[in-house]
Amino acid sequence: MATTSIQTVSFRNLEDDTVDVSAPTVFLVGENGQGKSNFLDALYTLSYGASFRGGTDLEAAKLGTKAWSLRRQSNDDTGLDDELVVAWDEGKKLLKENGKAIPDRKYLVDKTPAVVFCHGDMEFAQGEPERRRFFFDQTAGLVSLAYIDALRSYRRALKARNAALKEKMLDVLDILDIQLATYGTELIGGRKDLIQGFENMFSERYEQVSRLGSKVGLEYRPSWPAECSSDEINDRLLASREREVMFGTTLSGPHRDRFVFIDDHGDFSARASTGQLRLLALTLRIVQAEYCSGMSGKLPLLLLDDVLLELDPEKRRRFMENLPAARKAVFTFLPGEPYGDYRSADTAVYWVEHGRLSNTAGV
Amino acid sequence: MKALEDLVTLLSRLPGIGKKSAYRMAFHILKLDGQFAALLAERITGLKDKVRFCSRCGAYTEEDPCPVCSSPSRDRSVLCVVEQPQDVLTIEASREYHGLYHVLGGLISPLDGVGPDALRLDRLVDRVRELGVREVILATNPTVEGDTTALYVKRMLDATGVRVSRLATGMPVGGDLEYADRLTLVRSFRGRTGL
Ligand SMILES: [Zn+2]
Repeated sequence: MATTSIQTVSFRNLEDDTVDVSAPTVFLVGENGQGKSNFLDALYTLSYGASFRGGTDLEAAKLGTKAWSLRRQSNDDTGLDDELVVAWDEGKKLLKENGKAIPDRKYLVDKTPAVVFCHGDMEFAQGEPERRRFFFDQTAGLVSLAYIDALRSYRRALKARNAALKEKMLDVLDILDIQLATYGTELIGGRKDLIQGFENMFSERYEQVSRLGSKVGLEYRPSWPAECSSDEINDRLLASREREVMFGTTLSGPHRDRFVFIDDHGDFSARASTGQLRLLALTLRIVQAEYCSGMSGKLPLLLLDDVLLELDPEKRRRFMENLPAARKAVFTFLPGEPYGDYRSADTAVYWVEHGRLSNTAGV
Repeated sequence: MKALEDLVTLLSRLPGIGKKSAYRMAFHILKLDGQFAALLAERITGLKDKVRFCSRCGAYTEEDPCPVCSSPSRDRSVLCVVEQPQDVLTIEASREYHGLYHVLGGLISPLDGVGPDALRLDRLVDRVRELGVREVILATNPTVEGDTTALYVKRMLDATGVRVSRLATGMPVGGDLEYADRLTLVRSFRGRTGL
């Protein structure tokens, strides 16, 4: 399905407008703060139902307003039109496809998966465990609605269990232990499957992009022993109950899982240079896109926010050569970057200034 | 216009009603004749005066016990446990269920400070014994809190020896009993499984 146009109303600093994005590659060129990333965020929000830049829905509304809406028109090979709306009004999020309400934002991701490359990705490489879990959860969620359900249920059970630990509701804890163990082992199973498929693709790609000459692997280290059944986990939880009541929080489980990049000398990211980490972050996104299309059969939409800026010319070339197959790719560039070198005959280039996108076919 | 603002403030406290919709309703009431406004006010007051909880099952009713509890044709050996009084209306509309009900009045949720003591659980055990119930059907929503409550009730009823089943999960659209259409409820009841 090809996206043909995006309409934004009252969204961030963008001027209310409908923009033609039918080209397979779109470049957004402009100075910082003009609205390039905000337009990428509009596309991202149409895929995830939420922003990649964080912040509240109210903060996504244009200054002085309390509502926004995004509309995406697409058509498939048979020429059938498809209209998707994500809007926020009166404190509520509205998702609609062809006028029919979509009950949950998880179905958006399933319809049009998107992969964003942005500055924040460096955190995945640097090693903050919470950020790495976020990355791998997002990757698994791109190809499995069941994974999203398991993750949500686990988080909900974890919160309830922490509250029960603080309140010392022991009879309820018996039940919540069963639930935490059940959802938790399901999550661990999902993460094991993910890493099994992801690891090889990652090692190979990272070698191509970084030219390190040695392999960097990926290891999943679950907080609970990976081979334990949910009954065994339940016993372990019971055994640590006293200690957890004392701390008032759940001390083990998938919310403490770790993902580690390793080479022959051990933890790779602890010793890697900034340049190597930057390439690692890019490779993670490349493989996320490839894993998504490999597993779901759906090509993702690529959103690339200022990714080439920090790379030297040689690395830029290698990155562009390793770009994953996509439904469409949208890049942002500063005016000083040699974006002309990367464009092809079917690339659409927009100049972005004061929240306005203007077509510069002649530039 | 203070009268208008006051009404809008109240209306927008209702679930699903934002400021804009509240204004639309208030302007509409202004446009209609005075009789409508008087009748609306009367019905709203009458609702709170007339509708109470059934002292047996906890459902909404105008007479106590409620028509379900006092009907001789209902199957007294089956008890369906629901979270809220309005769930009884949803299940009744499906016409698939012919037993009695028991409304818990909430779900166990430590996050909201709701423990088992806040629910009508003692009454449930008493009723199972008094009525000689053979099967208890747990119809709490398939959410984490709904599951916690169902598992808790199941444990509590273990001592009574009654059969405990759960509505087939994953069936209701959007996972909410309130939004389940008639057909999904019918399938849920027929596909219920032992716990
Ligand atoms: Zn009753």
